[in-house]
Amino acid sequence: MEAGTAFRVVGVVTVNTHIPIPIFKKSKTTAFQSRFFTCSSPSPSSTSYRGPKPKRDFLADWVSQNDDVVRTLPIYVGSASLFAVLFNRAISGIAPVADAGSSQSRADLLTLGLAVTNILAGLVWLSIRPKSIAVVNPQGVQCRRLCTALPHVALTELLWVWESLSDITCCRSLVIVYESSCVLQIGFAAESSSGDGEAVSVDINKLIQGSVYQGVMKSGAQSYLANLSLYPGKSELSFLPSNTQAVILQPLGDKGIAIIGGDTIRGFTTSDQAWITFIGDKLDSTLAKHCNKS
Amino acid sequence: MNCLSSICFKPCVPSKVLYPRTSSTKFTTMVRASLQDPQPPNTSQQQQLNLSVLRFTLGIPGFDESYLPRWIGYGFGSLLLLNHFLGSDSATVTPAQLSTEVLGMSLASFSIVLPYLGKFLKGAQPVDRTTLPDGTQQIFVMSTDIVDGLKEDLAWASYILLRNSNAIAALIFIQGDICARGYWNTTDDSSTEILLGFFKKKVENARLYDLKDTLYFPQDADSDFQDLVPKGTSSLLVQPVLQASIDNATGLQKPVGFILLSSTLRYAFSIKDRAWIAAVANKLRACV
Repeated sequence: MEAGTAFRVVGVVTVNTHIPIPIFKKSKTTAFQSRFFTCSSPSPSSTSYRGPKPKRDFLADWVSQNDDVVRTLPIYVGSASLFAVLFNRAISGIAPVADAGSSQSRADLLTLGLAVTNILAGLVWLSIRPKSIAVVNPQGVQCRRLCTALPHVALTELLWVWESLSDITCCRSLVIVYESSCVLQIGFAAESSSGDGEAVSVDINKLIQGSVYQGVMKSGAQSYLANLSLYPGKSELSFLPSNTQAVILQPLGDKGIAIIGGDTIRGFTTSDQAWITFIGDKLDSTLAKHCNKS
Repeated sequence: MNCLSSICFKPCVPSKVLYPRTSSTKFTTMVRASLQDPQPPNTSQQQQLNLSVLRFTLGIPGFDESYLPRWIGYGFGSLLLLNHFLGSDSATVTPAQLSTEVLGMSLASFSIVLPYLGKFLKGAQPVDRTTLPDGTQQIFVMSTDIVDGLKEDLAWASYILLRNSNAIAALIFIQGDICARGYWNTTDDSSTEILLGFFKKKVENARLYDLKDTLYFPQDADSDFQDLVPKGTSSLLVQPVLQASIDNATGLQKPVGFILLSSTLRYAFSIKDRAWIAAVANKLRACV
């Protein structure tokens, strides 16, 4: 789980949007916050909640906003202290022998030990810094295709899945196939070769007979292709933009599959994978109920 | 509803792909007009020194090495004080020694604070594990007169929230209907009616009916909300469920309920966790 900031709402006013959220792109962050973290009009008397309000955690906010500085801070502090101790010994005329025979030397040794501890802590923090990977804008066209035969409840749930994934994760394309029909194709898709700006349709027969689908259905487990360009079966997903970076293949029971394309290599976190797994189960339940009825 | 079978997933990605030696974002000389961002130069590779060799574990169960600077700060700080008062007469303490001791105590204080700062860095793993507070019972209770669709969604939502976050207790309130799940301070063998009355009273006392803004208390939540959350709660998140008001020309959203999650961990809900919890709230509002 990623480290997070201490998110606060001060009073009952708007959500504090000027705290940068490092996980998401700025455009997604703004859209997401306007949708999910709904802001009420700034009117303290409009709510009946009178309980305690969260306090702003300035230190946590500052650390999150200055991640690089904080990571190297112990190194600079430790190094400066180390030189300060040696300089202090030099200008005080003390013999340059660090034995424990005198009180001064003992104090110097302890301080040197603390300085080294800080330097090592800073180096460990540098080692756990996540590697930043560039976002690659999908090369394709936007599309929004839904199976209109489904009832409103199912369509609402499908669109909720798309909104959640596109706002919270690096998902830019979503295709859901259930009972040999494409019930949803939304987001970015590859442009058709006719050049009329239309998206490539999902060839259901080709997809179902391909190794990608067969492998996921056989295992019954989610499959995460963290770097799609290295995967040989990429050609079976030709309806996705050609430069899709990562793909999650989530089986929906044994009757369908959700194909989630992302714009960042290794962009889906472990947390995202877990959430997508449970969402897949929910979708399977909903579609099984409503596909049988329709 | 039991639509949740056993969950397992495995990424079918070879390990060398996850940790490439060379930049996997290098492209060949294929020329095409695209929206791809230009790849960064190889300076990022040069800056990626292999510092992971410095990470270690003492192998002591239950001891987290990220807290080592704190313990060293306490230990060495104590030794410095001991050295000052017992190591020499106060009259013979030189200014040089005083300078060193002041510097040493400052470093000790900084070392003690270091693990706290490290918690908020990107990539930091949670140190503590979720513990179950004493005197709690695991329950799952729902209002009896809920429509089937909402009942399924509440059951799914409460399950997924407890499973995918550090929460130990969940309370969902939607237009008078209650769903409580997880570990709560309830007595053994309480009937459904008693439990529903228990939670209804909690909600009334907390006056969370018209909550429109998300409340997140990352620590010491049980001191402020003794009657609302299980004992031992550190983090508390209350996510309102808002419904777009069609009649209102200004588009203000009307609160129809909330999701309440509590955890024994401090800073239990990261930004991404809160985003997903808000997404679940949006799912529930569609059922209203």
